[in-house]
Amino acid sequence: MVAVKIEGNRWEGFKGFLRDLLGEGAVGAVVVPYPVPAGDSFAHLLVKEPSRVDHAWPVAPVMTVQGGRVVSRLTRKGPVEVPTVVVLRPCELAAMRELIKLNQVKPQGLLTVSFDCPGAYPLRSYLEGNGEEIKAAFLNALKDFRLAGARPLCQVCIRFTGAWADIEVGFLGAPQGSFYLIAHTPQGEKALEALGYTGQEDLAEREKAVEELTASRVSEREAYFREEFGPQVAGPEALLATFHNCINCHNCMRVCPICFCRECFFESNALKVAPHNYLMRARRKGGLRFMPDTLLFHTGRMNHMSLSCVSCGACEDACPNAVPVSRLFAMVGDRTRAIFQYEPGRDLEEPIPFLDYREEELQEWEEPYIQSTTHCPSSL
Amino acid sequence: MEKNKEKKGSEENFTPRIVYALCAWCGTGGSETAGAYWLKYPENVRPFRVMCTGALDASYVLRAFIEGADGVVVSGCHPGDCHYNLGNFRARRRLAVMKEVLNALGLDGDRLWLRWVAHGEGKKLVDTAWEFDAHIREKGPNALSRRWDT
Ligand code: SF4
Ligand code: SF4
Ligand code: SF4
Repeated sequence: MVAVKIEGNRWEGFKGFLRDLLGEGAVGAVVVPYPVPAGDSFAHLLVKEPSRVDHAWPVAPVMTVQGGRVVSRLTRKGPVEVPTVVVLRPCELAAMRELIKLNQVKPQGLLTVSFDCPGAYPLRSYLEGNGEEIKAAFLNALKDFRLAGARPLCQVCIRFTGAWADIEVGFLGAPQGSFYLIAHTPQGEKALEALGYTGQEDLAEREKAVEELTASRVSEREAYFREEFGPQVAGPEALLATFHNCINCHNCMRVCPICFCRECFFESNALKVAPHNYLMRARRKGGLRFMPDTLLFHTGRMNHMSLSCVSCGACEDACPNAVPVSRLFAMVGDRTRAIFQYEPGRDLEEPIPFLDYREEELQEWEEPYIQSTTHCPSSL
Repeated sequence: MEKNKEKKGSEENFTPRIVYALCAWCGTGGSETAGAYWLKYPENVRPFRVMCTGALDASYVLRAFIEGADGVVVSGCHPGDCHYNLGNFRARRRLAVMKEVLNALGLDGDRLWLRWVAHGEGKKLVDTAWEFDAHIREKGPNALSRRWDT
């Protein structure tokens, strides 16, 4: 393993590293968040010129498009032809790795770089706020790792390092004015060696810092869903109230990196029925809310993909009506994933639970049958 | 039926709407066996035939709960006996997720049951229908099925 400590400003150092990768010819292109020309938002930019990287924001204050989707689009028709660095937040990387398992990303030729993520601001608060002030506050958060006003899911994020990337950029546990570059794969090592980085820095301090923050985030997350958010949304009354603002626009599904289906079941003709069907339902319920099938859409999605939900918050950012979609999906996903001790993105060899089975398992989810039941009059 | 009236959560004369999802092979076969022995199941239990429990997408089950069902019970070939080899292994994982999604949202995953029934197990199928009917009567109506704002 190669792990080196880089002295100097973290921000400039991170960009310098990306520029060197391009400049030294270790890779031919970089995909990295970049300020849009008007300067008030960010987009992923595919660049080849090293000088461009100077203006990049490898750690952006907002997540506009989920990076997993970016990589999926980039490689839909085949793997990249020149080695390409993709700079991704940890949740974007996790999504990309789920998409590799689902054959939606072709990973050949990609070199992933990820980092200790301080979180992101809600897209809306960023777009409506004072961009320059917010940017400054954000850069500050790279030092102390506390981002006031971060999205709710970022505040309870438990996979906030780049440990699953080819190259991890580590801020936590590094002395101020320095950071680590850590290679986790042979490709990562090769790239670092191409820049003349060799050796094995002692990472004990960093490991300790990451462990501590993880432990406190795990318990905060659990408590948030159990004591705060859960009671606000659970039960028929509260859940329907949570979805009352939903206009069933399906934005949340379209921006989700995991919902890759070319045609979503919930947009298919299966749910477009003749008027008499709606009337029948209206009669039964004393009326029928339009657009119909809102609850079906959300709970159906949870069944289809909560196992792979990476808690990235993209859906909530995209919701026009402030429905806490990503928190609902994260809360439910934490529970469904626990059945299989599954973690999206963790291991490329670990199959997605729906694509796998054991011959003996899950007996506790079946209803045990006791022969001499007394419920059946015909058995008397 | 008399005693059900006092049960908590139940309405006056509450007759639950129950959907019994049966695979086309063992589940349906079990009901044929029950028929051959003249075994009766409650009239408010409506069979819903799918080719395989593995073909039972969550959207069918959720649709049932949202549009009128008070309970859904699923039966098919025992693990290892699936007509399509792996269908019921897949179904078991999906059912566990379906129940847990309902639980996590406070929608009571216990209104959804999974119990394997072989072709010859007519009595088990009928017993399950009665037992589930009693179980749902105890629980009372499913709130979602009566809401217009779903
Ligand atoms: S459901 Fe929302 S939080 Fe989960 S992966 Fe999709 S966009 Fe991200
Ligand atoms: S909700 Fe289901 S059908 Fe729709 S895109 Fe997501 S996984 Fe596919
Ligand atoms: S939760 Fe928001 S984004 Fe999703 S369908 Fe409803 S209104 Fe649209």
